[in-house]
Amino acid sequence: MGIGDQYRDTGWFGILFVIVIVAFILFNILRAKGGKELFIRRIPGLNSIDEAVGRATELGKPVLMVPGMSDPINAKAMQAINIFSHVARIAARFANPILYCCSSASVYTVSQEVIRDVYQQEGLADRYDLDSVRFISDRQFAFAAGVAGILLREQIASCFFMGEFYAESLIFAETANRVGAIQVASSTELTQTPFFIAACDYVLIGDEFYAASAYLTRQPVLVGSLVGQDWCKLALVVFVALGAIFNSVAMQGTTTQEWSKGKLKQIPKRSIQQGDTLLSRLLNPDPDPDIKVNRSKRRPDELPQPVKDSGGGRA
Amino acid sequence: MLHLLLDLDPPTFFNGDNGSPALILKIVLAFLVGIGLIFALMAAPLRLRRFIVVAVTFLSGLYYFLLWFFPAPISRGPTDAPNGPLESFSFLIADAVPSVVNVSNILSAVLIGLGIYSLLRIHLGRIVKQQKDWAFSLVLVVSLFTVAFFGYWDWIIRQGPTGGSLGAVPNDKWSFPLYAKDFFFEGFLQQMDSAMFSLIAFYILSAAYRAFRARSVEATILLLSALIVILASMGLIQSNWDNTIDATHIGFLKNIRLEDMRTWLNGTMQAASIRGLDFGVGVGLLAMALRLWLSLEPLGRES
Repeated sequence: MGIGDQYRDTGWFGILFVIVIVAFILFNILRAKGGKELFIRRIPGLNSIDEAVGRATELGKPVLMVPGMSDPINAKAMQAINIFSHVARIAARFANPILYCCSSASVYTVSQEVIRDVYQQEGLADRYDLDSVRFISDRQFAFAAGVAGILLREQIASCFFMGEFYAESLIFAETANRVGAIQVASSTELTQTPFFIAACDYVLIGDEFYAASAYLTRQPVLVGSLVGQDWCKLALVVFVALGAIFNSVAMQGTTTQEWSKGKLKQIPKRSIQQGDTLLSRLLNPDPDPDIKVNRSKRRPDELPQPVKDSGGGRA
Repeated sequence: MLHLLLDLDPPTFFNGDNGSPALILKIVLAFLVGIGLIFALMAAPLRLRRFIVVAVTFLSGLYYFLLWFFPAPISRGPTDAPNGPLESFSFLIADAVPSVVNVSNILSAVLIGLGIYSLLRIHLGRIVKQQKDWAFSLVLVVSLFTVAFFGYWDWIIRQGPTGGSLGAVPNDKWSFPLYAKDFFFEGFLQQMDSAMFSLIAFYILSAAYRAFRARSVEATILLLSALIVILASMGLIQSNWDNTIDATHIGFLKNIRLEDMRTWLNGTMQAASIRGLDFGVGVGLLAMALRLWLSLEPLGRES
């Protein structure tokens, strides 16, 4: 059988690890659904949401939400939308205006539906302004200029920047700081997190962003998923610690064999290097690239012909 | 390659010659059918609608699940035929990637239309009602249409008489639309992008000034670490400082060289922290994706 390319050599290990992680998450979701009480630690950045919306209400100014630069929509943008649905709910209860700026048409479409649903669930559909959720531009710095302009013109009181941010993060954060807005931010891009930490009042770091919806809503599925994530991180910590110990011990010895392209070959005696250890082999599959599989060939007339015109222009 | 519905060859009901009236008619029909399906979905009972959305989400995710987990073909040549049903399925999954990408591109194209509709609704409304700052809205709407118009005109010209890929036009063949597009894109848009990007340098300075004030123990550690990394990046200061330290007799002194301190901070403290965060973000993303795929995510619902 000529299939199973990704499982060859030690390729199976990464897939097995993903399956174990997925099993942890699903198991804990089931556990939480079964009524098991699970604990989540305090996250200051999320406690500040009420404070930030409250401040905007006191000042009578809008709350600004920006779900990052994800295009097209992905899991990061969905998580940002999830958090913003909670922010919008609080703003709706306080009758506070919101502005929600999107850089992606797909994020805009989903956001508009979710925010409208939130207002309807609260019985405040008449307070929902169709223009509060806006598409600005899918071009990075045009989007940055658009949002910065809104911040300055509307004199925003509270800002929420959550999702996938790149170089524009500091433009947003510093402009918001200039108008005296309270800022709660989180970037899934670790290179941008220091900028947010430097410029914003509250920052969700790393996986706190993904913990937010569980923390805010305490729904069993989300809480269970969060505990499953903690199990996964614990497994990773154990794996890293054991790997460091085993590698340190293994590298004290010598070897006369070496794995290369999925095959073990004899070599002159030498000290064991990092690439020889079991851990390194598990994490770096090196299958034989010259493996041959006997297959019948298609006739030329059975093969698709190359496409002559890729431009989609005039024929 | 297996023949999928969206492949251009062999000719089927689902494709057509590039630019032909038959193809345009099929695109229009497909668009109308798509609109009809959206209205049908909106008119469907809530439970049925939810079931359809869950089923479509699951099937879409299932494709990528299979692409990752289902055993992929080994050493497959361009003319190879599959051996048996399992290999056929494996080939099919691999061959479907371009078609699935096309579907998502088409969806994105439709959604960008909704985005433009949002822009126009807000800004045309502001112009008509002459609300505050309506002149900015006018500039935006005029720019939107002007750039789109000249961009498309330029694109048509670059296709040539027989269509084809976008290529460089010789200098003596440049005409008004090409100059206009160049003026708007390269002369305006790119320059404004660069101007916005350059602002970041000043913002970094002001943000750093606030962040690096020694207000607490943590902020002081941050300040000192940043100072070491910044000084170590300044060649003149780094080489002068490091050359004054003679670690020949007392090896420990090597630790106070700027270059060594920077290497230790970057390689030990920073790399370890970033990897820790990377693990957390990766696992969080996986859990979120899993919940979305299995429709376990209560998007926008409190209870």
